[in-house]
Amino acid sequence: MNAFQRIAIIVGYEWRRAIAKKKFLVLLILALALQVGLFALFYYFFTNPPPGFTVIGPSLEEVKAMMWLVGVLGPQSLFIPLIAIVIAGGSMSEEYERGTADILLSKPITKIEYMTGKFLGGLSLLGFVIALTTTLGATLAYGLFGPQESIQFVPVIYLVLLYANMLFFSMAFMFSEVFRRTTLSILAAIGILVASLFIDGILSTMYFISGGEQLYLEVSKWLPNWSVSNLPSFVASELITAPESPFVSMPGGDIQLAAAIIAVYTITSILIAALKLVKSDVTKRTS
Amino acid sequence: MASQPIITVSSLTKYYGDFKALDSVSFAVGKGWVYGYLGPNGAGKTTTIRTMLGLLKPDQGEIQIASINPAKDPVQALQSLGYASELPTLQTFFTGEQLLDFMGKMFGLATQARKEKIKQLLDLVGLEEWGDKKIGKYSKGMVQRLSLALALVNDPMVLIMDEPTIGMDPEATAHFRNLFTTLSKQGKTIFISSHLLDEVQRICTHVGMINRGRMVFDGPITQVLETFTQQWVIEAELKKVTKTMISALKKLDYVQDVKSEENKLRIELKEKKDLRGEISSEIFKHKGVLLSLNLHQITLEDAYLRALKGGQ
Ligand SMILES: Nc1ncnc2c1ncn2[C@@H]1O[C@H](COP(=O)(O)OP(=O)(O)OP(=O)(O)O)[C@@H](O)[C@H]1O
Ligand SMILES: [Mg+2]
Repeated sequence: MNAFQRIAIIVGYEWRRAIAKKKFLVLLILALALQVGLFALFYYFFTNPPPGFTVIGPSLEEVKAMMWLVGVLGPQSLFIPLIAIVIAGGSMSEEYERGTADILLSKPITKIEYMTGKFLGGLSLLGFVIALTTTLGATLAYGLFGPQESIQFVPVIYLVLLYANMLFFSMAFMFSEVFRRTTLSILAAIGILVASLFIDGILSTMYFISGGEQLYLEVSKWLPNWSVSNLPSFVASELITAPESPFVSMPGGDIQLAAAIIAVYTITSILIAALKLVKSDVTKRTS
Repeated sequence: MASQPIITVSSLTKYYGDFKALDSVSFAVGKGWVYGYLGPNGAGKTTTIRTMLGLLKPDQGEIQIASINPAKDPVQALQSLGYASELPTLQTFFTGEQLLDFMGKMFGLATQARKEKIKQLLDLVGLEEWGDKKIGKYSKGMVQRLSLALALVNDPMVLIMDEPTIGMDPEATAHFRNLFTTLSKQGKTIFISSHLLDEVQRICTHVGMINRGRMVFDGPITQVLETFTQQWVIEAELKKVTKTMISALKKLDYVQDVKSEENKLRIELKEKKDLRGEISSEIFKHKGVLLSLNLHQITLEDAYLRALKGGQ
């Protein structure tokens, strides 16, 4: 057996672990229900527009054809990062908490292979969840609002979503190995996500109050949520340049910067996790 | 030692924070040995075993399993090793079969080989009817049995077990004791930590004793008994003990001393020899009626307790 085979076995283990546990199924169902709920709301709104409602900018008809973007990008700002955190936050720690790390790491596998398998296993699970929400979003858009424009970009945007979500995924994964406690890891990562959204809010308020002081914007870009929630829409507005697109009016952003920031956070987190795993004892039972 | 040892532990020192759990522990286990690792609670047995497997980082010292350091190259060192941990905690969401199958995969067993192995092992540990049930539903003893099956999934050359039969019923304990003997006859090397001294005495060829992180004995089991036996004693129970009988026994040149208590005699011998024949004929000469006569050889337990005293 080579390293790839050993890593693949752990990836398979992560999947079986997730499927065997109800937590993952609950999350999945929740993600899908949220998507359906979102569309039901929009559909209701479109079919029964409130009296006196007028659309500024693109017409309602034009927006309808781009509704798939709502389904694909909608869950990105909060819900998908949360799922990423929940999957990764228990990935390493649960084995310590349940005392099952011993039986895994006393097998012919290196710690790094084990960690890589865990990481890729969790990431592929997340990929699966995003694929489901994306597909469901696009399908619902088509079913409820008729033919969709530029829908051929769904696969690319899907990949960008997966890439962007590596940030909170890796961060929670790192906490999971460093703290070796699932609840603590998940709370820490969620704390960072929420704090980041909050600080982002303050900074943009300051930006407006100060009458466009660039410094506030520059700083906010380094908050973890900025790149995660913006990269997919930056890419979308770059790809979709049809005149009827609601993104025509939306300013594109610095795709490279966002991608680089995500890479920095992700790689740093992975390195810290690997260092901790290699340098420390395998804990027997922490719960 | 005739051949190259399979397990070598040299000057192993391990701290938990400021606490020194292992203090320069050394021993070697030869091929085909059944090595009993003894010590009171908190002596450092589990710490030794988990360091041997590379799960804990030693502060000093080195481990070799088949000449490879498992912390540096676990893939090589652990390929033909089986490990059953102390109070095993297994993946409760799997069934016994699923977990065996997964562990078989980790050792690179092919699908068909795994299938056969799973059936064979479940039979061996007496879980044939539980293979398809979730481990979360197993009793403590059943988890322990499955853990032993898992340790055997790769047909290991070296088997390391941390108190494997603790919590098992007497029948299962006897069953596994026989199993360990069978495995040892097949040429496997077995390292077993235990508190059950009579069990160790029955199956082990070698013994290591640890107390407060220090080795207090390491050698063949015959030697343990020899080392810690100061004296052999014959205990006799008679219908009636007379004074003349006692003084006659005391006069024998191989008798050190005789103590009596009601109808019992405790005859301490000068030599480490089975002198029951001589003693019984002497008693018979004085019209004594023997009810029982035992040569009280030192047990491993006595030796163990003495070793611990010496080590403190
Ligand atoms: N993770 C840990 N952190 C701190 N101290 C520990 C840790 N694990 C064990 N110890 C201490 O190290 C010593 C040796 O423990 P170990 O578990 O190796 O003993 P043992 O011989 O296996 O005992 P037992 O027979 O009870 O299983 C004990 O004093 C224990 O309190
Ligand atoms: Mg122990």
